[in-house]
Amino acid sequence: MKSSIFYEKFERHAHGEGLKANSTHYCPGCGHGLAHKYLAEAIDELQIQNRTVLVSPVGCSVFMYYYFDVGNTQAAHGRAPAVALGHKVANPESIVISYQGDGDLASIGLAEIIQAAQLGIPISVIFINNAIYGMTGGQLAPTTLMEQKTSTSPHGRNRIMGQPLRMAEMIAQIDGPMYVERVALFDNKQRNHAKKAIKKGIQLQVEGRGFSFVEVLAECPTHLKMTPQEAEIWVRDKMLPVFPLGVKKDEPREPWFKLNKPNFDPNKLKELVGGTSDKVARFSPGFPHHISPSDISLKLAGSGGDGAQTAAMLITRAGINEGFDATHIPSYGPESRGGTSYADVHVAETEVLSPASPNPNILIAFNAPSLAKFGPHVQNGGTIIYDSSIITAPPIFNHGTIIYGIPFTQIAMDLGKVMVKNIVALGALHAATDIFPKETFLTAIRQALKDKCAMIPINEEAFEWGIRAYNGEYEFPGESVL
Amino acid sequence: MKSRPKPYVFPEYCKGCGRCIDSCPKGCITMGKEVNPLTGLIPIELSLDQCSGCGLCISACPEPFGLRAQETEFEFELTDPKSFNGPRPKPLVKPFAIPGEVIPFAQTESLVTKGTYASAIGALLAGCRHFFGYPITPSTEGAELMAKLLPDLDGVFIQAVSEVATVNMMYGCSGAGLPCMTFTSSPGFSLMLEGISYSIGAELPGVFVNIMRGGPGLGNLGPEQADIKLVCRGLGHGNTHAIVLAPYTPQEMLDLTMLAFELTFKYRNPVIIVGDGYMGQMTGRVNLPKTMIKPGIPEWAVYGDESHRGNLICSIELNEADLERNNIHINNKYRQMTQNEQRADLYHCDDAEIILMACNTPARMAKGAVRELRKQGLKVGLFRPITLWPFPIDLLKPILSHTKQIITVEAGNGQLEDELRMALSHHNLECPSIDHVRRFGGILPQLKEIIEKVISVEEVLA
Repeated sequence: MKSSIFYEKFERHAHGEGLKANSTHYCPGCGHGLAHKYLAEAIDELQIQNRTVLVSPVGCSVFMYYYFDVGNTQAAHGRAPAVALGHKVANPESIVISYQGDGDLASIGLAEIIQAAQLGIPISVIFINNAIYGMTGGQLAPTTLMEQKTSTSPHGRNRIMGQPLRMAEMIAQIDGPMYVERVALFDNKQRNHAKKAIKKGIQLQVEGRGFSFVEVLAECPTHLKMTPQEAEIWVRDKMLPVFPLGVKKDEPREPWFKLNKPNFDPNKLKELVGGTSDKVARFSPGFPHHISPSDISLKLAGSGGDGAQTAAMLITRAGINEGFDATHIPSYGPESRGGTSYADVHVAETEVLSPASPNPNILIAFNAPSLAKFGPHVQNGGTIIYDSSIITAPPIFNHGTIIYGIPFTQIAMDLGKVMVKNIVALGALHAATDIFPKETFLTAIRQALKDKCAMIPINEEAFEWGIRAYNGEYEFPGESVL
Repeated sequence: MKSRPKPYVFPEYCKGCGRCIDSCPKGCITMGKEVNPLTGLIPIELSLDQCSGCGLCISACPEPFGLRAQETEFEFELTDPKSFNGPRPKPLVKPFAIPGEVIPFAQTESLVTKGTYASAIGALLAGCRHFFGYPITPSTEGAELMAKLLPDLDGVFIQAVSEVATVNMMYGCSGAGLPCMTFTSSPGFSLMLEGISYSIGAELPGVFVNIMRGGPGLGNLGPEQADIKLVCRGLGHGNTHAIVLAPYTPQEMLDLTMLAFELTFKYRNPVIIVGDGYMGQMTGRVNLPKTMIKPGIPEWAVYGDESHRGNLICSIELNEADLERNNIHINNKYRQMTQNEQRADLYHCDDAEIILMACNTPARMAKGAVRELRKQGLKVGLFRPITLWPFPIDLLKPILSHTKQIITVEAGNGQLEDELRMALSHHNLECPSIDHVRRFGGILPQLKEIIEKVISVEEVLA
């Protein structure tokens, strides 16, 4: 054979010195060499040498890159399919071949091969199953046969070590792969099949059709402690009954895998990240020193869904629009999907230094537990605004805080949208503290709703009602609907 | 009938496995009788009188240079295989780089966005269009934003089966020469360490944002800084280091992410960004830069095209001398990083007698303390390492002469202090008195306790 896919000289094999320049590192009779040869022929025949990226695994075939004159990557143990996916999505034009042994694929790398199969992105997997660990010296593999003796099953594989794992069948029942076949190498007929299967698996990738998986039953004469001929017979007589040959899946698919070249248009990126060149108007005459000399600390607390985080975000945005520094830290984690939700906000004249609000100047409480929990920690002289439609009997705090009950929820329900109760709260916050002018808040609200313009009027109305309620201009309807 | 070429074999390249013997329908092949003195193996012997040139023996030979078809007449002796292979149909091209571009980015108003988002935006501006990740609080929003935006930029987002798969997908993508990243948090970062070691060994770029949470074990979701040891001293097995950047505002989450991409390609080594949970979750003002990057493809990449075919991404060096050479090469890179990349922010350090040392969110509290204490007339400053590795000792050295006391402020058990002490020791610098404020378990040191500590130390010094 006149192959141009193998290097003319194996420079990477012991620096290409002596016989190693043209000889593999495999033991006599090893199945890897044959699989390599059929792979090289397939690359040659499909004319994909320049596009091929070959992922060498950990195992006896770790040194595939000694031999194949293609792009080469060597992966961590079991991770070849993940590495292959990285290559494939980086350059969809590349033809990525992930080659793994049974310890690599069927033991340590189970998660990676299953996910790669599930994704179904066109890569070609060649799986060498020789029922034993070769590189580490003949230990039990997931594919080791029952009663087979290995160095870690010296008395033979028994039930407690589990039964051999049939990967081709497992991969075939996943939706992602389109072609799965198990082949062998023990006679001319099987070798011919193996060669065709390997080529087909790669061809399906070249055509952009899908993920393929070819399992090759291979001989490991060294660790089977057999001659190459005995090993061939062993594969035929012992492995075949457990690992039946044949096509496990062959599902025709139209070519589908195509990725556009990544987009680096700065205007597109600017739009996507919400960048705007429009100057934001300022309305504030200066930092609201009357609340705190240089750094105002707020806490907004309620149940998940009360809108505490959105309101906190709007205050932060308003502060930054006015040229101050502002930060918002949400309570995050499991409790943010239900239960309590609270937000710490700071607005500072120059720089927020302690972003947490353990002792806020201002507390906005949407429910009774929040008021009870955080109320006592509000700074002396601070402000508490709570939802009086939810909290009917607020606790009495003994420090010098000013407390306002505003029926956030009731007003929002009167407006027909309970969701806007947080905006009612912001209206009340403005009226009670004069932290920012009204227009500052309304600008922040409009910015936040720029993609949902229809929602702007009701939010503006909610804000107005928050102010009116603070001014005593809201009549609680006779019959509470709560 | 066209005559087909018959096989030949160089005895030196035959391992005598005998697979060809069974394959031959004519019985032309037999096992030899004499040991080849060069290989110590017994090669097969060919007797081709009956040979039909069917080629089955060649297909049965596992060696690339074993049985081969004799297409031309030549002398049967061990010579340069080029003489019988003829010219290569696709000769190797010397790998070359496809350069990237710096593209102007229009001036915009400040964004109001959270730390993980700012970092994701920084990555997009730095040319990253490939993201791999696994969800973990409190880092996930960064991945979520990437999942939302990348399809519109013809980028790729893959949610990997685990952090182990994540880092190996990154290994593949950066092996192809493209910028890629992940967001993770402490337990997930632990799982990535093996792959990071491989990436360092194979000299691959990659940006890892670790939004640290409370540990050990499952711990909690609060802000902690207990992975500093891991990122500075424990990046998996072997001789590993990576530049570690520690932002302290949402703005720095963006700026340092962009810097991370620059450095990761400059040194062909991963770069780690560490922030406590607040750094990930905190929303604040973020200004966008004036330029963005369109990446190229480096010379060394395995991109899967003609100009990069000769490349190899690999961390295995079986020969001890080769691996030692590789380590020396890597050590040289570490030395360059140490010389060129130390970064720190010094606040009121010029005349400070007491230096607070902190990074990430605790540095904000410490800065607040400095501001308060300066009002009281105390000579206190803040030294904020931006690179935790390399530790910015060259920037600390000049102020040590007037420093009587260092107080480290950490959400952790003194891992930053350990970096400081090690740097002082390696530079044979006299160690000033070191004290600390430490909180754990998702609690950050508070302004008040930092101030109290400084005042108590000041009383002793006075």
